[in-house]
Amino acid sequence: MASSTSASDLGPGTALLLLAPLTVLMAAILLYPLGVTVWTSVNNGGFTLSAYADLAQSTLFLKVLRNTFEIAIGGTLMSLVIGYPVAMHLAAQPPTRRTAYLIMVMLPFWTSILVKSFALVAVFGNQGLVNQLLGFLSGGAIKLPMMFNRVGVILGMLNFLLPFMILSILGSLLSLDRRLILAAETMGAGPLRIFWRITLPLSMPGMIAGILINVTLSIGMYITPALLGGRQDMMVANLVDFYTRQTLDWTAASATAVVLLVLSGLLVALLGRVRGAAGLSEAGA
Amino acid sequence: MTVTTAPAMVELQGVSKRYADVDALHPVDLTIAKGEFVTLLGPSGSGKSTLLNLIAGMVAPSSGRIVIDGRDATTLPTNQRGLGMVFQNYALMPHMTVFENIAFPLQVRKVPKAEIRRRVGAVLDLIQLGHVANRRPRELSGGQQQRISLARCIVYNPALILMDEPLGALDKKLREQMQLEIKRLHAELGITMLYVTHDQDEALTMSDRIVLMNGGRIEQQGTPDTLYFRPETVFSAEFIGSSNLLAGTLEAGPDGAPVLRTALGTFPVPAPDRPIERGAKAMLLVRPENMTLQRGGDTVHVTGRIEDSILLGGVVRHFVRCADGSTIIVQELNQPGRVDAERGHEVAAGWLPQHGRLLPAPPAG
Repeated sequence: MASSTSASDLGPGTALLLLAPLTVLMAAILLYPLGVTVWTSVNNGGFTLSAYADLAQSTLFLKVLRNTFEIAIGGTLMSLVIGYPVAMHLAAQPPTRRTAYLIMVMLPFWTSILVKSFALVAVFGNQGLVNQLLGFLSGGAIKLPMMFNRVGVILGMLNFLLPFMILSILGSLLSLDRRLILAAETMGAGPLRIFWRITLPLSMPGMIAGILINVTLSIGMYITPALLGGRQDMMVANLVDFYTRQTLDWTAASATAVVLLVLSGLLVALLGRVRGAAGLSEAGA
Repeated sequence: MTVTTAPAMVELQGVSKRYADVDALHPVDLTIAKGEFVTLLGPSGSGKSTLLNLIAGMVAPSSGRIVIDGRDATTLPTNQRGLGMVFQNYALMPHMTVFENIAFPLQVRKVPKAEIRRRVGAVLDLIQLGHVANRRPRELSGGQQQRISLARCIVYNPALILMDEPLGALDKKLREQMQLEIKRLHAELGITMLYVTHDQDEALTMSDRIVLMNGGRIEQQGTPDTLYFRPETVFSAEFIGSSNLLAGTLEAGPDGAPVLRTALGTFPVPAPDRPIERGAKAMLLVRPENMTLQRGGDTVHVTGRIEDSILLGGVVRHFVRCADGSTIIVQELNQPGRVDAERGHEVAAGWLPQHGRLLPAPPAG
């Protein structure tokens, strides 16, 4: 609150001056290429919406779009289910130990996504650690295909998404007033009821923030499905790549990108509304 | 009203709490009778909140036994102790309406919906806040929030309500109003209440019995009257009410009656509750309102110069600087047409010997 008051104390001129460098940079590297993309998608030797009409009828595109949402939403939900208990555990730790654990959560951040993807192959691939162990234990009877298919994409995705989910939820849990839990305990509430009626609703803003970040990150995912997925697991970003580099159809590539942008924009706006509603009922503390 | 024959609601037997290398609470024995209003009074760090948290089950005792309502609760988890607790910051659930907040403990107890509606309605009427049932806590004032948090306790009839400085966040006027409201609820509902505060006025106003705590020990306990008029230690005397203390040596007077030889003279003193050896250091307590300013000097008195006179409304406080540099406070009732002695004038501050109280000298350090 204090920082926002001091920021509004600046005159409008100063504010503009401070924002100018970033505005110029964003215009140059984001808005301009975006404009070019939109322009290319409707310009095939003259204005035309044919690229969009083609997309609407392309089974490949519709299949890829479905893949994208399935993987993004599925990955996000799994990240929520796996991340929430981790965040709860972290919130319950004394501060020094929490810092140590947080470093472990953050480690994937510091590793290149390429390196991580190859490392996952080494662990979960057909010749990977897990399958070697399974094979050893079962005498070669069991071999789980976990790479270059949907499982591989989700595994790689989770590895990337979890820190964002955990950190968002942890923030909410740490700001939760412990005395509310104590009060509920004196009233006779058990741990399960306290979780459903108090902890979960009061951590809603963090959960929604985590979901928002996860969906945004995963919907445009390119490397993970390319490296860890099979041919059936193509996502929209891979399709854009396919159009630009394999078929050299820039109009289709641009139209695909624009559809992805609009759909993810809609999704984010929708989640933002939910967050606004949850924020209203959130603690004033 | 000291209830000694009524069955005990809470019984602490040698309960102590040690953190790492700090004794937050030395072994304490304390019994709270059913229906009693007991206040734990003391400065911060005196162990009063630790004692409350031990009874609530939020911290585990290092030694001793806690019996609540006839049941050994020493290792019982908080949610099975059947108590109510009111917190200083109210601890209302911010995401629930006032109604949902008060209904929560009833839902925990699996009370049918229709009865929940009836009981929440009844308790909201009791605290005269029926009109805010559908608001959220943060839309209410601090005083209203604290009444809601009281209602949330009362609604499920716990045998014992613990209050941890519940009025600490409210302004003076509201605090006094709430003190009376809590007292009224206590009288109407007959619930046993254990109240923690560092405010002596609050303790005097509300309690059947005050347990004064100091340095992790019970310093003294008794009715407000007892603590005010019959303090047993200098700490008790100074913590409750204001006090004039004259330090000296206890001696036998010409007629054999005890006298205290001080830097300001030798004064007759009443016999102490617990015998003090002749020749030992002791202190004489005289409450400011038991002293008067006087011209003549046939009663017991000390002399000094008026340093200041302060009008406190119904009473006037005179500060008398004595020869040894100490200041004696004399409190008199205010009267129309009152004439104060001028600043710097020599006066005598006198008292009746039987209004003095002899206390053992506090331990050094």
